[in-house]
Amino acid sequence: MSSISLLNTAREGLSSHQTAINLTGSNITNVNTPGYTRQVAVFSSLGCVNVGAGQVQLGVEIEKIGRVYDRFLGVQINDKINDLGYSEAKKGILEKVEIIFNESDGDGISELLDKFWSSWEDLSANPSGIVERHALVSAAQNLASVFRSSSDELVSVQNDANTEISGLTDQANSYMSDIADLNMKIGAIRTGKGDANNLRDKRDEALKGLAEIFDFQHLEDSNGAINVFLPNGMPLVMGDRIWELDVEANPANSSFYDVVFKDDTTAVLHDTITKGKLAGFLEIRDTKIANYLDDLNSLAASIIAEVNNRHQLGYDMGQNLGGVFFEPATEAENMRVSSDILEDVNKIAASETVNGDGGNAELIGAFKDGLFMNSGTSTFNDYYASFVGKVGQDLSGEERGLDHHTNLMNQLVNKREGISGVSIDEEMTNLIKYQLGYNSAARLCNVADELIDTLLNLVR
Amino acid sequence: MAIRVSENMKFNTMVNNLFRVQDSYNEIMEKMATQKKINRPSDDPIGMSRVLSLRKSKASVEQYSRNIDNCNSWIEITESKLNSVNELLIDAKEIAIAQSTATASAETRNISAVAVQQIIDEMLSLANSRYGDRYLFSGTRMDEAPFLSSYTDSSRIGNFIAADDNAFDGDVTAGGTYTGAPYVVRIVAGGALGEATYEVSDDGGSTWGLSSTIPASGAISLPGGLDMTFHDNGTNQLATGDTFALSTVKTAEDNAFDGEVTASGSYTGSQNKTYAVKIVDSGSFADATYRVSSDGGKTWGGLATDLDTGTITLGEGIDVTFTAGTTDLTADDIFYVNAFPPGYYNGNSEEFSITIGRDTSFNYSISGESIFTDKTGGNVDIFKILNDLKDSLEANDPDGVAAQLDSIENASGQVNENIARCGTRMNRLEIAENNMADLEYNLTRLISDTEDADITEIATELAMKEITLKAAYAMASEMGGLTILDFLK
Repeated sequence: MSSISLLNTAREGLSSHQTAINLTGSNITNVNTPGYTRQVAVFSSLGCVNVGAGQVQLGVEIEKIGRVYDRFLGVQINDKINDLGYSEAKKGILEKVEIIFNESDGDGISELLDKFWSSWEDLSANPSGIVERHALVSAAQNLASVFRSSSDELVSVQNDANTEISGLTDQANSYMSDIADLNMKIGAIRTGKGDANNLRDKRDEALKGLAEIFDFQHLEDSNGAINVFLPNGMPLVMGDRIWELDVEANPANSSFYDVVFKDDTTAVLHDTITKGKLAGFLEIRDTKIANYLDDLNSLAASIIAEVNNRHQLGYDMGQNLGGVFFEPATEAENMRVSSDILEDVNKIAASETVNGDGGNAELIGAFKDGLFMNSGTSTFNDYYASFVGKVGQDLSGEERGLDHHTNLMNQLVNKREGISGVSIDEEMTNLIKYQLGYNSAARLCNVADELIDTLLNLVR
Repeated sequence: MAIRVSENMKFNTMVNNLFRVQDSYNEIMEKMATQKKINRPSDDPIGMSRVLSLRKSKASVEQYSRNIDNCNSWIEITESKLNSVNELLIDAKEIAIAQSTATASAETRNISAVAVQQIIDEMLSLANSRYGDRYLFSGTRMDEAPFLSSYTDSSRIGNFIAADDNAFDGDVTAGGTYTGAPYVVRIVAGGALGEATYEVSDDGGSTWGLSSTIPASGAISLPGGLDMTFHDNGTNQLATGDTFALSTVKTAEDNAFDGEVTASGSYTGSQNKTYAVKIVDSGSFADATYRVSSDGGKTWGGLATDLDTGTITLGEGIDVTFTAGTTDLTADDIFYVNAFPPGYYNGNSEEFSITIGRDTSFNYSISGESIFTDKTGGNVDIFKILNDLKDSLEANDPDGVAAQLDSIENASGQVNENIARCGTRMNRLEIAENNMADLEYNLTRLISDTEDADITEIATELAMKEITLKAAYAMASEMGGLTILDFLK
């Protein structure tokens, strides 16, 4: 054992601790970097050599710089991100729908329906009254216009969801190309020397971003590349290759976008995508809002048909049989008071006979209690009330789901942070530890130097 | 083993908790501000739809209350008019009693006859009184005053229709058996009844017959058994050029058919009725089909095709003749004819109804038929007995005058009966109104229970949340204050 080798050992100690201190510095400065995985220096003995009777330690080296993380936790988090994205997308859109049908202050379809029926009753009390006739026409116009605007707003929310779908598809493509790019770089570094830890962190972030959009499976291959597949096994990223997604307007579905592969625009992927924001927007657009529109349309269509039928059995002020009261239509967006009646309020057929009584208006006014909806089990108002209840129920269900997912997500994130996150306390303790190691190694240098000095002085 | 606590964990947990506390604080603030616990459907979907249903019920109840108020004023006016009628009958009775005795002379009877005529005029104006646009006592007919000033002996189908710009504004009635020709009467020289001269056309006004003078009675005879009577009960006299067409059948304004339609025959029914004809299939007389209604178009009889000759039978003695014009009969063309038995009454026996509760229709009008005539529950024709009284007085016939005493008594009874009916109806309305008030109160309470916030509860909760929020802020501000760094020198 020579003093020279002691000097060598001290040098190894100095440089190893220097690296460890640098790494601690990097951990401390990245304390707020999203997705940052703390890195640890793994010290390892260089081993020893047998010299004569004893062994001589050769010193220390940094064997590798490790990323501290739990692979399975990563998968679990991505799963939860899927659920969160799905719930968030649906909740966001349903909140917009709720605003359209928020009747808590009145002034909505429900109240205008009440006013419409009341106007008929007022007319029945004074069938020849011009004021009552104008009041009825204006109540009917208000009703028709709120039906039209509700329908328009629903469609515009549906269009918002559609636009989101196209934007999300672009975003997914960009994440996929990031992943492929990082795959390539990580592969290159692995073939040389190094662990590409920062690049892996970045790739994990890209995967998380993709998980927010839709659900997928991923595997790391032997080259360190992550391959991404749709749940049905179709590849999205393989090494540095990607299969881009695209949207195609579907003329059979109001020209809304279908999500497809860029190189195979015929296969629609909607059945495959079941989670994430994309699935949320697809479901909202094609199921929820489509159902709301159906409900609204069937309410409007029934009101139009029933009022028109009865109206055509009565007589107007000119003793003519009544015409249509609303323009015949089956969609809420086309609900309008008939132009004949707008031109001349005397065309309202309030009378049940040619004598000008108010019987027909009384009969139409009584429609408010008529069981016309749900195959003769509920009134127009009840049907609408339960429709509003349904919208509220859908949203509150989604809010509950989102709360639940968020709580789980927080737990998972905390768990991940518990493993991979940076603790300043820990890093500081490490810093003290490494500083001590460094100082000791320097002291060792000093001692070795003195030893050599002593030895040389012997010779002098 | 101790759990590793990283910096992000601490901050995430802090921020998440802060958000949660702030969220629930905001929620309570909103409830406090709006005083409602349901501010959007998702706050309580079931509560929201319950509130909507309850609000609808409340709107109905408010409407019913308004309807009841309307009825109440109608009935109050009816009652006050009937009380006036009764007073007039008492006046008539006093005259009858005084003039049936031997102390009365031809002179007093003549003066009394004038008084009775005044009573009749007053009675007529009462019987033709209106509430808003509607006659109180015309049943459900709105187009004509319900009572005529003079008696028509025979059944009538329809009236002479005066041209729009005629100067004459008295009533013109038709009687007798109508043969079906489209008669038009034109005034050649204007003036009072007894002075004015007229001419008659039996072809709708193309050719005119010789002119003659209208007698003071106003009654002229047209060829073919038809009578026409001018009633000088307006303010303007007949003027040259005034025309009156016998268009017994009225047509709806928008009918496509432009030919002549006339009714003929004599009405055999006992009550006023409106017969209506509705064309079902368009076409010439041979092709067109129609339905007939005897209740003004409410209910329709079976489909009939026997229009070939242009003449159809409506029933109860009335025939209708169509004369082709340039446009064929068209589906939904409506023709109607009002038919009257002898008497003064122009209205019908129907009653106006309005909804005063769910599925509860309430008849609030009393038809003039049951008050002033001897039909539909009535026993005496009030205008007839008053006119008979007047005639007896003019004829200086004390026995005739005495004979009307019982009838006037009966008439009073009849009017009183109807005043009592008003009272019964008002009682019923009052009960309904009280029910509605109770219902409205209950509904308001239910709505409030469902959607209104309990302020005491909310305020307590708000104070609690405020403490939680303050604690959370205090904790957040302390965060990062305590680290190992403080102890490293």
